[in-house]
Amino acid sequence: MTELKGIWKDWRLHLLVFGIVALTEWIGVFQFTVGPGVILLLPMLYAMLIGLGLFFTPVIKKAQALNAEPLIVLGVTLLIAKIGVIIGPSLPKLIEAGPALLLQEFGNLGTIFIALPIAVLLGLKRESIGMTHSVAREPNVGLIVDKYGFNSPEGRGVMAIYIFGTVFGAVFMGVISGFLATITPLHPLSFAMASGIGSGSMMAAASGSLVAAFPAFSDDIIAFAGASNLLSLSTGLYMSIFIGLPLTEKMYQLMTREKPSQSRVRKGA
Amino acid sequence: MLLKNVQEWTLLLLIFGLIAAIGNWIGYSVFPVAALPGMAVLIVICLAGLILQHVLPVNIPSVAYIGIIGILVSMPVMPGSEYIVKWTENINILALATPILAYAGIAIGRSWTDFVKLGWRSVVVAMFVMVGTFLGSALIAEVVLRMQKII
Repeated sequence: MTELKGIWKDWRLHLLVFGIVALTEWIGVFQFTVGPGVILLLPMLYAMLIGLGLFFTPVIKKAQALNAEPLIVLGVTLLIAKIGVIIGPSLPKLIEAGPALLLQEFGNLGTIFIALPIAVLLGLKRESIGMTHSVAREPNVGLIVDKYGFNSPEGRGVMAIYIFGTVFGAVFMGVISGFLATITPLHPLSFAMASGIGSGSMMAAASGSLVAAFPAFSDDIIAFAGASNLLSLSTGLYMSIFIGLPLTEKMYQLMTREKPSQSRVRKGA
Repeated sequence: MLLKNVQEWTLLLLIFGLIAAIGNWIGYSVFPVAALPGMAVLIVICLAGLILQHVLPVNIPSVAYIGIIGILVSMPVMPGSEYIVKWTENINILALATPILAYAGIAIGRSWTDFVKLGWRSVVVAMFVMVGTFLGSALIAEVVLRMQKII
């Protein structure tokens, strides 16, 4: 964010985004039911897919793809400012819900109990530790690379989830949050807190679907999701260091009956 | 150096704000003139946070400052906060998210080659990772919110 030079002059990029936004907002929210649940497709989801599609046409050159990055960062600052002014008036409500906000951070360990068994069942080896110890955003990638090395199985695992999250995280979260919130008996505000998983775009997509599905709760949903996302950003790394990663290692050993000493011997051999 | 950055940030935030304001008009029927004061407030909050991050010696991300400034200026005890709240209400949060993801879509094209190299097993695990953290947090939140009788 320190070296920005003349990106505002990239009119091709801004006009394209302008066109995408105008088109997708004009299309509006599209929703359909699957069994008892509702799947919501928001303009932001089409916008991302159209942007991605344009990348493969000559309209977008490498310069545009590079110049788009700082605009994501600045766009997220506007989003955070907007979340801030929603949180301000509802601060007493947030403080009242403080215990739930803090404790639901431990729910991020849900990846270990749900995704690790699947990874092991699919025959993945130590990749599964990198893959499932957390939701694999930047701080977690840093942790795994620091501990196991970039070219280790764990490092490849965390990178795989990171790449999936970068490319499809927002689209996926947007689709499942509305669906899960309509198919399960859990309250939209619980899902609002769950939307803050430490990534601005995933949080926006997940809480956006909730707002579209439950407009009556719209400000509370955004306040809870935003506060939870700030908490996830600040506690996520420590959660992984002290609980997530050790727990994943233990569970992995239990599931594969691999003794920690054995693995060390194999690595040395 | 700072001045040059502030200039660039301002221009980019204005471009982004303009695009979002048009989206806000088409998608949420807020005429851009009505959205103007709210958008201006949000841009000023962003600039304040970006400048603070640049000037202060501590290494805290600018979004943290921006979030805190946003909360402070909209708290009921703050004089004038009712205007901030009233003006910014005209900016639909989804109208801000759409251009972010449009830019993101264009930028992540560069990660596409890495993405197609992922095997199907990685994709399956990735989906369960996201569902896992989402459901795990929602379950805990539900239990605590019910115990507190908030929901």
